[in-house]
Amino acid sequence: MEIKIRGLKKHFFSEGKLIKALDGVNLDIKANKIFTLLGPSGCGKTTLLRCIVGLETPDEGEIQIGNTIVWSKDKKIYVPTEKRELGMVFQTYAIWPHMDVFNNVAYPLQNMKLPKDDIARRVAKVLDFVQLSGFEKRPSTRLSGGQQQRVALARALVAEPKVILFDEPLSNLDAKLREETRKELKTFLGELNITAVYVTHDRVEALALSDIIGVMNAGNIVEQGSPTKIYFDADHRFVADFIGRANIIPAKIYSQAGPYTEVDTPIGRFSCQKRSFDAKDELMLCIRPEFISFESPDNKGDEGDNLNRVTGQIKQMIFVGEVFETEIRIGDTGLMAKLDPETKYKEGDKLVLAVKPGHCLLVSK
Amino acid sequence: MQRNTKLTWSLLLIVSLLTVAPVIMLILGSFSSSLHSFGNFTFKKYISVYSDPMLLGILGNTAVFVLGSAALATVLAIYLAYMNNRTDIPFKVLFRVLSVVPMMIPHVLFAVSWALLLNPSNGILNMWLQKLFFLSKAPFNIYTIPGMVLVEGLLDLPVAYLIISPAMASFDASLEESSRVFKSGPVKTLFRITLPILKPAILAAFILCVVRGLASFAVPSVLGMPGRVYVLSTFIYRAVTMSLIADYGKAAAIGMSILAISIGLIYVYRYYTRYSDKFVTVSSRGFKPTVVELRGAKAPLFAILIIISSLLIVLPVLTLLYTSLVPYIMAPGREAFSSMSLRHWHTVIKDPVSLRSLKNSLFLGLAGATVGSFLSILISYVIVKVKSRASGFLESISFLSFSFPGIVIGIGFMWYFVRTPIYASIWALFLAYVATYLPYGIRPMTSAFIQIHSSLEESSLVSGASFATTMRRIVVPLLVPGIVSSWVLLASMFFRELSVSVVLSRPGTEVLAVQILRFSEDGQWGRLSALGLIMIAVATIMVVGVNALGARFKPGESREKKKPKNWQAA
Repeated sequence: MEIKIRGLKKHFFSEGKLIKALDGVNLDIKANKIFTLLGPSGCGKTTLLRCIVGLETPDEGEIQIGNTIVWSKDKKIYVPTEKRELGMVFQTYAIWPHMDVFNNVAYPLQNMKLPKDDIARRVAKVLDFVQLSGFEKRPSTRLSGGQQQRVALARALVAEPKVILFDEPLSNLDAKLREETRKELKTFLGELNITAVYVTHDRVEALALSDIIGVMNAGNIVEQGSPTKIYFDADHRFVADFIGRANIIPAKIYSQAGPYTEVDTPIGRFSCQKRSFDAKDELMLCIRPEFISFESPDNKGDEGDNLNRVTGQIKQMIFVGEVFETEIRIGDTGLMAKLDPETKYKEGDKLVLAVKPGHCLLVSK
Repeated sequence: MQRNTKLTWSLLLIVSLLTVAPVIMLILGSFSSSLHSFGNFTFKKYISVYSDPMLLGILGNTAVFVLGSAALATVLAIYLAYMNNRTDIPFKVLFRVLSVVPMMIPHVLFAVSWALLLNPSNGILNMWLQKLFFLSKAPFNIYTIPGMVLVEGLLDLPVAYLIISPAMASFDASLEESSRVFKSGPVKTLFRITLPILKPAILAAFILCVVRGLASFAVPSVLGMPGRVYVLSTFIYRAVTMSLIADYGKAAAIGMSILAISIGLIYVYRYYTRYSDKFVTVSSRGFKPTVVELRGAKAPLFAILIIISSLLIVLPVLTLLYTSLVPYIMAPGREAFSSMSLRHWHTVIKDPVSLRSLKNSLFLGLAGATVGSFLSILISYVIVKVKSRASGFLESISFLSFSFPGIVIGIGFMWYFVRTPIYASIWALFLAYVATYLPYGIRPMTSAFIQIHSSLEESSLVSGASFATTMRRIVVPLLVPGIVSSWVLLASMFFRELSVSVVLSRPGTEVLAVQILRFSEDGQWGRLSALGLIMIAVATIMVVGVNALGARFKPGESREKKKPKNWQAA
């Protein structure tokens, strides 16, 4: 089912200050896709999710799920949470400690007053789906973090809702388990025909899981698009900066005539991805460390390949396992780059940095 | 929202009638000349009380008694808490017993048992020591200030322990470990690091003991009055019982100063504990702070523990048992054992007043605790889940009576009820009990409510359950441990209530503790002991039974380690 949000506002007062948790959000979430709300803490993403599920009441605007308006200020519509027929996985999982696994999962069906054997059949099916068959009688307090997570998912799925909501469901797991569970979740969701709204502040999680990412900041959706679009081709500096590590360098337009937009920066002239700007715009050049490649100063490679090349000196190399995180000085400017762990370069070496124009992203300041 | 606002305001009204009204009546009463000329404003009572030449001596006694017993209780509590949480002392189960069992021995009985052991004329222990060492007179006299300090200190020990021990248990062990790394031994670490960091908990325990000492009536009346050692609470009692006409105005005027000191001290207490009761307490399972090996010191330190346990539990019960069986008090010996009989037990079981007091106390314990817990559930719900200015106000007036010394608030209730038809009925006691001990019911309930993370309710709503279903299937089952704690605490306090009852109890509405006090004033030690043992047995059955019932509803094993109740016993 599709979710339509129009002009949604929600303000809080906290310690005498007005906080605009949602500042007029307009959003269309397409049916049967995994949509992720990504943003720093306090950006309003959880508030937006809680408004959709009905645990929070907005101040203004309208929310439509499928063909039903579930909340509207002007039309005075409020459908309470328990009537919205959604599924949700909470950050804390909210597994009821006084019930066993079966009763936790059966609860939504019990509320629908289904016959007992029907409930048993559907619970068995969903537990099989999340690979927890045989855990029915286990007290919920004797589950590991990953198992609790799967019980929460089973409970959210058991009533076969058209929309399922996730509120940072992996943030309570340790790093290794988080990675495994992320893969599992991706598989589970891929097998279902369901609209999923997923809230997280973890960019890797967002990139790995989503069909579409909506990046939020200060109560607004700044930008939305596919993971690759958001990663390679962000329109906003905030998004480019938030979605991954980036070197951000001030830039001025030199020429927009050729196949590339050319800019002047403190470290030289760069050919960048084509984007139209006003000639006087103050811009930022954004280069991700992983897209900087290296050439030795004596062998400058092919000059006709349109690569941007600058010469710099290695200031510091930090070994972090898969790479050396390397800081390179070019005049007064420092750039972060990644060097192969078996590299022959060492601190103090001079080298040439090469970046494809396609990886030079210009965003407005 | 509408429903919550209505609930908040009706609770505000009920709680004001219960806790604010008696205070107002106490204040008005202190400015009136007698119960029947209420409202004629006069300073007469204040002048007569505060110019009484006895007052200075009484204040001195009170200060020594209160500060001495609080200091004793706190020091012993630090010792026990440290032994339990930080050392490899054996038989740690003793600490649990020590913190729970004194709840079942009423203070008045505890005080009486010490009078039986150490009174100067025929104290059992005194007589025995006299015989053993051929002394010309009794070596100890319990009817003195040091005697009162000892007994009150032992009585307040569990309270201080229940505040200090959790603080010591949740203490970040790395703070101590780093001190050890930097070359401090365990003893130096204890005094340089552990105790200074625990200062807020220790001060809170000390202050609470001071407040309880100030409110204490059992020890001053049983051990102080025979030796003519008066403190403020017995001074009030004297004003309403010892003169020809009970002077409730004078009692109120004395009460005002105790009330003022108590409220001030409770304010300081809340300041020191302001962080400890706000947060969801996560039981740190598997977390074990470093244990200090006692090695050679183990035996003597364990001996001290055994002595404290026997002083607190074994000795009083044995003394009562012995006294209930011998015809009159005599030193234990062949003669005593050969003359033992159940005579006193038979007399008590046939005594109509004793039976009536047992019946009344049972009713007050069972019915009072049920009503009190129900009220506590509603109040805690509003305090924890409804965040509004009115709910904040409700919280402060519900905790108001925490600082009320029983006998003082009893005087306030006297001024209040004498104008209503419930005066001298069992309902006067009922309402006064619920009002005075309400905070003890609310406290475990609020921590139970706080433990129910709001997402547990929200996920129920998302699963399609209505508000009522959510309450029935999620909230109430998770509250069961809190309800049990509230009920047990209230029931055991009501069952042995003394200091409020001593003012409000009338012929026909006798209660157990007051009946015990009467027996003690008349020197009826045998009957007293028999009735006292019945009282202890009933209280024990009540506490153990309800806990067992509650355990059947416990969710899984997640609540194995419950946070110990911070407040106990009055």
